[in-house]
Amino acid sequence: MQPSGLHPYPAQDSRTAGSDVLISLAERASFVDRLVADAAAELLFPAIPEGLALICVGGYGRRQLFPFSDVDLLILCANEDIPRRHKPEISALLQRLWDSGLRVSQSVRTPEECIAVHDQNTELNISLLDQRFLSGDRPLYAALSKKFPRFVQGNRDALMRNLVRLTRERHAKYADTFYHLEPNVKETPGGLRDFQFIHWMEQLREADANRVTAPEAPAELRQAFRFLAGLRSALHRQAGRDQNLLTFDAQDALADHGARDVAAWMREYYRHARAVYRAALRTLELWDAQSSALFAQFVGWRSRLSNSDFAVHRERVHFRAPHQLESSPELALRLFEFVARHGIPLSNEAMTQLEGRVGRLREYFAEPRSLWPAVNQILSQPHAPMALRFMHETGVLSALFPGLEQIECLVVRDFFHRYTVDEHTLVAIQNACTAPEKYGELLRELPQKSVLLFALLFHDSGKPHSDAAAGYAGHVEASLAAAGAAMRRIRMPAQEQDAVAFLIRNHMELSLAMQTRDLADPKAIQDLAQTVGTEDRLKALTVLTYADISAVNPSVMTPWRSSQLWRLYMAVYRELTRELSEQRIAESASRPGAELLEGLPVRYLRTHSEEEIAGHIALAARSEARGAAVEIRSLESAWQLTVITGDRQGLFAGMAGTLAGFGMNILRGEAFSNRRGQILDTFVFADPTRTLELNPSEVDRLRTTAERVILGKLDVRELLKNRPKPKPPSRRGRVPAAIRFDDEASATATLVEILAEDRPGLLYDLASAISSSGGNIEVVLIDTQANRAIDVFYVTVKGRKLTASEQSAMGEELRKACTLA
Amino acid sequence: MKKIEAIIQPFKLDEVKGALQAIGIEGMTISEVRGHGRQKGHKEVYRGQEYTVDLLPKVKIEVVIADSRLDDVTRVIVDSARTGKIGDGKIFVMDVLEAIRIRNDDRGESVL
Repeated sequence: MQPSGLHPYPAQDSRTAGSDVLISLAERASFVDRLVADAAAELLFPAIPEGLALICVGGYGRRQLFPFSDVDLLILCANEDIPRRHKPEISALLQRLWDSGLRVSQSVRTPEECIAVHDQNTELNISLLDQRFLSGDRPLYAALSKKFPRFVQGNRDALMRNLVRLTRERHAKYADTFYHLEPNVKETPGGLRDFQFIHWMEQLREADANRVTAPEAPAELRQAFRFLAGLRSALHRQAGRDQNLLTFDAQDALADHGARDVAAWMREYYRHARAVYRAALRTLELWDAQSSALFAQFVGWRSRLSNSDFAVHRERVHFRAPHQLESSPELALRLFEFVARHGIPLSNEAMTQLEGRVGRLREYFAEPRSLWPAVNQILSQPHAPMALRFMHETGVLSALFPGLEQIECLVVRDFFHRYTVDEHTLVAIQNACTAPEKYGELLRELPQKSVLLFALLFHDSGKPHSDAAAGYAGHVEASLAAAGAAMRRIRMPAQEQDAVAFLIRNHMELSLAMQTRDLADPKAIQDLAQTVGTEDRLKALTVLTYADISAVNPSVMTPWRSSQLWRLYMAVYRELTRELSEQRIAESASRPGAELLEGLPVRYLRTHSEEEIAGHIALAARSEARGAAVEIRSLESAWQLTVITGDRQGLFAGMAGTLAGFGMNILRGEAFSNRRGQILDTFVFADPTRTLELNPSEVDRLRTTAERVILGKLDVRELLKNRPKPKPPSRRGRVPAAIRFDDEASATATLVEILAEDRPGLLYDLASAISSSGGNIEVVLIDTQANRAIDVFYVTVKGRKLTASEQSAMGEELRKACTLA
Repeated sequence: MKKIEAIIQPFKLDEVKGALQAIGIEGMTISEVRGHGRQKGHKEVYRGQEYTVDLLPKVKIEVVIADSRLDDVTRVIVDSARTGKIGDGKIFVMDVLEAIRIRNDDRGESVL
């Protein structure tokens, strides 16, 4: 007998994985059958003529015996005494089989053990589903095979539950994705194990009291199975052992052998793995739907979310009228917005309906049209990552953005990437949305999450057009080009386009700085601050970097790296706030009315578009005549009020009070003054009762009121008198006020940082407290996170920093203002 | 044989690694560590909340070398890791009794 031999058949061509792979597996099983039966006839049965039978189980039982795979043999004994008494004979048999090159994986069981549920050894129960008598005591086996179907039928739920648990654990071990660069063809999601899982669940479901049948798999899965089985055979042959990892080396070897492009060949692998994985997920879903009464109740509750376009049934979204996709393809985007909003997965039916119409969608989306509002909606919802995943799965994502097609299943070979580029992208988006602690806070502070997610979607889209050997140099430019084309086609507003382009262009800056720059070196930090420009951009870039690094593989974002990134964020953040007060626009640009800009912080130029600056200059011209000019305009989801006037004590407080008097909620604000003493204040505010939207005349009234307050014709306290007192906050959500003075951060002013519980009118009270203590507000940055207001004032008294006693007096006033209610 | 443990600034890693490779030191172990020496931690304030940054991120490089190479290697590390500022790190040298290659049980300096 040839020891490593045992493949008396010609080597199979694994890539074509033709029909003969199954035949060769079966022939191999028959060959081993004869070997085992002969050895048993010689060594075992003369001594044990009855009470013992050899049963083939597992893959061997199914007649799918891979080269060098374990031969699963069940030694069925009538009672526990037999194996004890005949240990020498059984050992002799196993030794013989081992010596002839078989890796026997045997278990010795009584029929009773075979028909008991083993929660700790589900594999034993499951392996018996593929049992087959080989030789020995036939009546003994007949008794088992009579009882076994009844056992399966009676314990169906427990067996299925255990099998589902094992499968879920296995999927989790591989991060619930089949897009691994070096997949395990047996264990990775979408591998052979998943194919078996589907088959076993089917067997368990179909079993009746008389027999356990083996229903046939659908054609698509049979094709995938042949491919994977061929692959596994080839891997085993190549390694000379039970080796299922499709390593880069193995990929090269297998593809070279077939003289094919490795990348194309791997795509074929992913296509098959995807078919198997999706079928496995369907099977898992079916189990969930059938198994839990509680789940059913929840499911019923969720079905109330159904609307005229979509129905929620059994925790899955369905189209009410899928044919409408033909006439109004944007229905597809609304569907994904629904998924993104509620976090309810698509039904298989809806997925198939979408897949069938991808061609029509592609055609429709190819025309430039205003799709950004719809895309923005999807990306702004809490479950955007889930929606994107389904868009990717159904092909809608590449129909919408053909530029992303080239990263599908794209393998990037290096030491640390674990996923294909498309999967890396989706994982990064997921990571951004679930970033922990401080990074999560940064995400919540971003004015537009959708811009960050859009940038992440495209950040690596240029990888196929760059030189892998040169570390993907140039991929940033190619990604920018792909994103640019997509943004123009969906008519994204210029400001958002700039923000996306900034993030893609710099997506490696922070991680590069972490590795190569001295974070304690002021010059390095200044350079970065220069590149980044504003706090909002810094925050977005920090979250992006966090998400991108952690999506390389699950263990790369160590606490060490995370703290390095945070250190870098803090250093740049401080630099940005410091320069805010110190770096001023020096010379007037060559445009009419540009005197307005002289002496404003440099950052003003970075945070405002040319269009806005022109608007401000026009507004300044208007203010010359009347002493003040106010402009109010509606933004995407908020309103903005801009004021230009001569410097007046208490102006900022007056504006804050006016807005509070109209019931508006201030979200962000800036106050700058230029060299000529002109003031430019901007407030972004929410209109919780939609007063301005529903009553356009109120916009005018707000503007006139604001102007009258500025010009001293109206006392803001009058306005506030009639406002209802805010409800005292619940104890749970209470935020203790923190007030801090900083003399170091700025060369010319004292920084007052206030963290307090937000409430209507808070900003007015704080600004009044500063003004009434003699302080002049030079620069203000206002921000709100949930119910926390974070306000930074740059304050001077008579043009200089505050003295210690002034600080303590002002601190007292501010503390009082924070606790007013 | 000697074992060298060098604690250096993270951003100097590539430079030190390159310098070691340039003099023929290929094998090394690198870990991300945190700690502080005389460059103690400090407090930082972010949005009104104080964070104590008492342990600073560093990188630890471990190499085992033949006695004869000790001076070379330490000099290369010192030169490539130095910025001249506090926090540049330290190098520790210790004796190694034996080195064994697990694959074939080779022993001594030939293993390095």
